[in-house]
Amino acid sequence: MIEVDNLTVRFAGVTPIDDVTVTFPGGTCGLIGPNGAGKTTFFNVLSGFVKPAAGSIRVFGDDLLKMVDFRRARWGLRRTFQTEQAIDTLSVFENVAMIHEHSKATRQSRRADVLEAVEYVGLDAPDAKVGSLDARDRRLVELARAVVGTPRVVLLDEPAAGLPDEETEHMSRVIQGIPERFGAVVILVDHDMSLVSACCATTAVLDFGRLIASGATADVLRDEHVIRAYLGVEDVS
Amino acid sequence: MHNVIAFTVFGVDWEFFKPYIVLGLALGGAYALSGVGIVVLYQATGVLNLAFGAVGAAGALICYWVLNHTSWPGAIAYGACIAFGAACTFLYGVLFGPAFARRDPLVKMMGTLALALILLGFMAWRAPAGGAFNRVLTLPSSKHRFELYGAVVNWTQVLTLIFAIVLTFGTALFLRHTKLGTAYRAIATDREITATLGVPVRRVEASAWLGSGIVCGTAGLLLADLFTTLDYAALTFLVISSLAAALIGRLRSLTATLLGGLTVGVVQAVLTPYESLTQYRTAAPFVLSIIALLWMGRHREVVFSKTAR
Amino acid sequence: MTVTAPALNREVIVRSVVIVAVLALALFVPPATLGGDWITTLTSVAIYSVVAGGLVVLYGKVGMISLGQIGLLAIGTWTATRLHYLLDLPYPLLMLATGAITCVVGVLIGLPALRLSGLYLALITLMGAGAIDVVLHTLDFPNGGGGFSGHQGIIDPSSLQTVQRPSWGTGDTAFYRYVVVICALLFLLALVHFVSKPGRAWAAIRESEPAALAAGVNITLYKMWAFALASFMTGVAGCLLASHFGNPTVGSFPREQSLTLIATALIGGIFTLWGAVIAGVFMMLVPFILQTQWNVDSNWLLIIFGAGLLQVLLTAPGGVAQQLPKDLANLGRLIARPFRRKPNAPEGSA
Repeated sequence: MIEVDNLTVRFAGVTPIDDVTVTFPGGTCGLIGPNGAGKTTFFNVLSGFVKPAAGSIRVFGDDLLKMVDFRRARWGLRRTFQTEQAIDTLSVFENVAMIHEHSKATRQSRRADVLEAVEYVGLDAPDAKVGSLDARDRRLVELARAVVGTPRVVLLDEPAAGLPDEETEHMSRVIQGIPERFGAVVILVDHDMSLVSACCATTAVLDFGRLIASGATADVLRDEHVIRAYLGVEDVS
Repeated sequence: MHNVIAFTVFGVDWEFFKPYIVLGLALGGAYALSGVGIVVLYQATGVLNLAFGAVGAAGALICYWVLNHTSWPGAIAYGACIAFGAACTFLYGVLFGPAFARRDPLVKMMGTLALALILLGFMAWRAPAGGAFNRVLTLPSSKHRFELYGAVVNWTQVLTLIFAIVLTFGTALFLRHTKLGTAYRAIATDREITATLGVPVRRVEASAWLGSGIVCGTAGLLLADLFTTLDYAALTFLVISSLAAALIGRLRSLTATLLGGLTVGVVQAVLTPYESLTQYRTAAPFVLSIIALLWMGRHREVVFSKTAR
Repeated sequence: MTVTAPALNREVIVRSVVIVAVLALALFVPPATLGGDWITTLTSVAIYSVVAGGLVVLYGKVGMISLGQIGLLAIGTWTATRLHYLLDLPYPLLMLATGAITCVVGVLIGLPALRLSGLYLALITLMGAGAIDVVLHTLDFPNGGGGFSGHQGIIDPSSLQTVQRPSWGTGDTAFYRYVVVICALLFLLALVHFVSKPGRAWAAIRESEPAALAAGVNITLYKMWAFALASFMTGVAGCLLASHFGNPTVGSFPREQSLTLIATALIGGIFTLWGAVIAGVFMMLVPFILQTQWNVDSNWLLIIFGAGLLQVLLTAPGGVAQQLPKDLANLGRLIARPFRRKPNAPEGSA
């Protein structure tokens, strides 16, 4: 469970996140909104790249904002980025192992954990160099990095961007299984509404840095305010 | 009358320092001159030209050669130095600028290091320094001196300072009020978008290289005179002092660059008479640059792009 | 431990064999076939390869460019010389002490610079090197005097010592072999780093700092580690250089050397240690050959280095170390082409 209270981010005269209070109850949660709504900024606050002007974030009772940035990963925060960040010159195994060796997990469990994560996402060549893989497999490497060991919060930023429908199907199944298999809360940011509907039980919606809806995904997607936000019509509320 | 007032201020003997301050202001003027050239070029093209000193030194050597090995009039010699500075910088910018256009500023700077190496090689080969090769370049304006508040000043020093001030404020006005100047500022903000707006980016950049080159040649001439011996290695590495000025200006503000250059020059000069510090005075530009860099980098920025290769 | 497929194993074995072969060649062939001048030059090659190796760590692996490595080298040489006059240490201890002190200096200098990256980091290392250069010009190198600087202005030439050499490496040839072994060990130290946890962390940092952060990498720690390793290597190289020169002076570290180091390191190949070896060859061996064997002014080389640097920056980021195997492979394919086409195979295409 992730509790966000009165979160505000300000820089360079803009307020990308404006007094947002929301709870992500668990399982897989969606975070949607039109471009520039503040979703990636929210992830950046969680990762520690951006310091909020106000507000707090508690995850499973722990105050996330008090932790130094790289220690959050050690605590169990995992993330994928919109642009791939895996290292081309290393193998799939080494890329995933790197996350593991900087976490709290022990050396003994490394091989087993890494192979488990690699297998779970559906990759079958752990020794292949990431640079030689195609777009789909590279995205799966990102996912494997996000779930290896004992993740507690998994942030997915458009994990299926640019992939054709069949691959998105596979991705959807992988994402849906994460909370049960690894015990983590997943927050999924995406523009693909069918992916969000399939994976996420609850969804929150941001627009211009404000929370405009949150709750069961089906309800949220039908919400008038949400539809208007996506269509770009000014919301008079 | 002035002396009495000056003496009572700070209790420091200004009489003693005057000649040093005068020289420091002149040198600082030359650093500021180069600094402005460096800053404008950096803003317009993203290239921090570390070859500035080398180009100026080569121009000065050419000037020396024309003066001492041909019978051509002095004006041709001085013109040659400035022309070389302009041509060399312009050619580099036009030939290699586009190739480096999309790269990181670090890589662009390394390109200018390569240019500096090439020029150093030429100069070392064709004009070896030391021993029998003590060359001196004196501008005609240096031969005319006068007294100012008790210090002996030559016209080169005055001209350098005037040039520096005129260039700084002239360029600032140019950037603000002319079409070309606005184009420079637009490119500095975002090259790609500016190009899509129909601004002839390559031509604007070429003009920046040319202008910067002219400043380079001029600065080379003035520094060669102010430094009394034509040591091409020393002149090449004088770019550091100019860089210090540019860094104090945060690679952005022309006025701060001017003040920075003058500060570097004066600090160096004023340390000269102190026996315990004088040998360290040449470290002044380095130390000032380090302080400026630490100040500029004080906010930790997380960069989201892949590192330069 | 990675899953080792048969192919990987073979690669490791082949690489190890090549390294051992090159080492053996370096240790035994030159002393047997070349004269004294060549041996001293090759000693310099080995030493400067290590310095270039430090750049491989900093820039090739982590992405931090330092234009001040010659400054650190000079500090190493100065430290070794000072320690030599001050204490009577066995040579291995002298090397370690010099390496450790240079390491501390490098880390102290690097600490404030850590916030900077790219251009600003390069500039601050350039400025740092300049400041070190001025200080060294003032202090000059120790020559038996007292005080911190250990330098005395007027010395009796008969009392001038030379910096010690290892007890089984006093002659030029023996020293050359000693230096080659030490340099190989330093490269091994770097290699061990590359294939284990710090190497992977460095690769992550070089690729993308935010992603490395998100992966839990303590970026400050690993950057400092890289500085420490590079400074230690350069410090030990400085100690070897002190013994090599005997009486090091400020003239041993000309200002252009910072430029030629970065140029040759990039031209040689900044991503692998082989590139560092090639850099050493370019920096020390090629000028020697030009001057003494072919009577060509070695200043020409500066021009070539400048041009080479431009080429590396624009088209061949991996330098000679990366290009040469590719070019050789292409050449091999070109040569093999006529032999691959079978004359009576109608559908064959090369």
